[in-house]
Amino acid sequence: MESMSQDPKREIARRLIDSRRQERTGADTTARAAASACDHLYRDLSRWVGADGCHALFTRALSQARVEHPALTPIQLRARSEPYIDGLAASIMAYGDAGTAEALESMLVRLLELLGRLIGDDMAMKLVGRSVAASEAGDKNSDSTRERA
Amino acid sequence: MSKQQSTQIRSLPSGVPGLDLVLGGGLPEFSFNLVAGGPGSGKTIMAHQIMFANATVERPALYFTVLGEPTLKMLRYQRQFSYFNPDLAGSAIQFINLSAEVLDGNLDEVLKRIVDETERAKPGIVVVDSFRTIGGRSGSSPRDDSFDLDGFVQRLALHLTTWEATSFLLGEYAEEEQRNPVFTVADGIIWLSQATDRNSVVRKLQVVKTRGRAPMPGLHTFRITDDGLQVFPRIPEHKRLRHEQQRRRLSTGVPGLDDMIGGGIVAGDAVMLTGPAGSGKSTVATQFIAEGLSKGETGVIAVFEEYPEDYLARANARDSKIGAMIKGGKLEVIYLRPLDLSVDEALAAILEAVKRLGATRIVIDSLSGFEVALAPTFREDFRESLYRLVGTLTATGVTVFMTAEVPEGFAEARYTSEKVSFITDEILVQRYVEVEGELLRVIVVIKMRGSDHSHDFRLYEITANGVIVGSPLKGYDGIMTGVPTLRAKPIRAKRRK
Repeated sequence: MESMSQDPKREIARRLIDSRRQERTGADTTARAAASACDHLYRDLSRWVGADGCHALFTRALSQARVEHPALTPIQLRARSEPYIDGLAASIMAYGDAGTAEALESMLVRLLELLGRLIGDDMAMKLVGRSVAASEAGDKNSDSTRERA
Repeated sequence: MSKQQSTQIRSLPSGVPGLDLVLGGGLPEFSFNLVAGGPGSGKTIMAHQIMFANATVERPALYFTVLGEPTLKMLRYQRQFSYFNPDLAGSAIQFINLSAEVLDGNLDEVLKRIVDETERAKPGIVVVDSFRTIGGRSGSSPRDDSFDLDGFVQRLALHLTTWEATSFLLGEYAEEEQRNPVFTVADGIIWLSQATDRNSVVRKLQVVKTRGRAPMPGLHTFRITDDGLQVFPRIPEHKRLRHEQQRRRLSTGVPGLDDMIGGGIVAGDAVMLTGPAGSGKSTVATQFIAEGLSKGETGVIAVFEEYPEDYLARANARDSKIGAMIKGGKLEVIYLRPLDLSVDEALAAILEAVKRLGATRIVIDSLSGFEVALAPTFREDFRESLYRLVGTLTATGVTVFMTAEVPEGFAEARYTSEKVSFITDEILVQRYVEVEGELLRVIVVIKMRGSDHSHDFRLYEITANGVIVGSPLKGYDGIMTGVPTLRAKPIRAKRRK
């Protein structure tokens, strides 16, 4: 992944992923952080758009990102489940940590773009920004679930 | 602190223009309200206006969405309105989806979620949209349903009031459903409706119930625009303020006409000028306004028949000051021609302009066009509607000059519209007459309340500078028929040049 981006949506996606990195180390750290970021955003957005509405957003974003990122082919979304992102291990095995992480990051960017087209970029960025801030403040709710999974 | 002060209920602004007046001062703080109405009646828009008018980061608004319109779509559409401030979304205004709890059909879980979120956010405003989808899903039988809902509504109302939240349940209810427990528990009920009548849609609002308040009774029309809802309170009849100082006369600006009416129109009166098409009614009305402007007064013209640009172009051609007066904020032309207008909406627009300008003269041109602009349902009550309109306007002390077109029939004399003549203090009538093979115009004063006036039929001409009234048409009988006959020796006076 590039370290810097002029795209504010990509910036906020990276901030969210960075906020999900734990002190753990390993070959799949970045991909797991990206998946955790998706879990977190799904849970947070579901609070205000509903689980079905949020799942619809993620499904469309995944569909769009898959065109450019084959690493998303094994990825499945599990509505109303924790963790939300499934198939992570298969993707990492086939495309590596960086490839899977980059693909999940692109899915988050697509989701932000879609949300922006629906309710306006300003409000989309604000709402996701609040979710990122909560994550940065230490809301690591889904991590333990993901670790168990 | 006195006892009265300690128990006084604070009012919150609704953010809906006109609604606070109908509510008797605003929304009672910490009240538990139901906003009911059919699909598309404006419930969600009203709730958003209330939230954006009151929510702060410290006392946010919680908007619980249930089933029905998905939150994303609701936000997409709501943000098209001018009141929607995206900066407040997510902080001062928080959206929370309850569909999972409601789909499970467990009211206890729904209540628990609302309670948890309320205790977390400590909101000032709580909205549940649509509450109907909660009540309609609980339980397995109608009996259980009713029992569960009773307890649920009671506990919800108690909890929200205890947490000092002013709350609004939105729901699609029919009038025959008022036995639903939510109607009993609610402190306030606002009912929104819309009715179609001959291709026109009229939206109406009724405050069915407000505890501890005296709302304005009756149905009030409202309109939904890019700015959201605007309510037009059904203004009751106002007492006329015919102060003595208002017995002064206002010049009409029409040469010769003031002589016919005892020196001018009595300030604060309602005057009606009727006549057939092309008789110069609008010209006289414009002269009346221009005369006021030339004396430092301000005026409002409400146009119903033609576009204001055309109206003003003709007015400017006669008096070049008109355009400058509009730019200078001395004159405002209001264009009202939507065909689904209510009298109260027209009145609100005119009164607003009168207040804005401090206007002393108003022209309504014309009553015929006004009647056509009204929604069909209001045309049926035109007489009563106009009575309230004129009564309210003259109660403010302004002088109202109205024009009305009457059909010209040489076989029948008809001077005024029977429907509206009773509301006026002064009635002037223009008429075509055929004399010696020539079509002439005459004007006569039919009525002048409490004042002497000319009884002559006066000839008048429409010139490039406006209407000029000349001398009486004497020596003829049957002028009212439009085809007078020579009595004896004609005494037709020379017209004034």
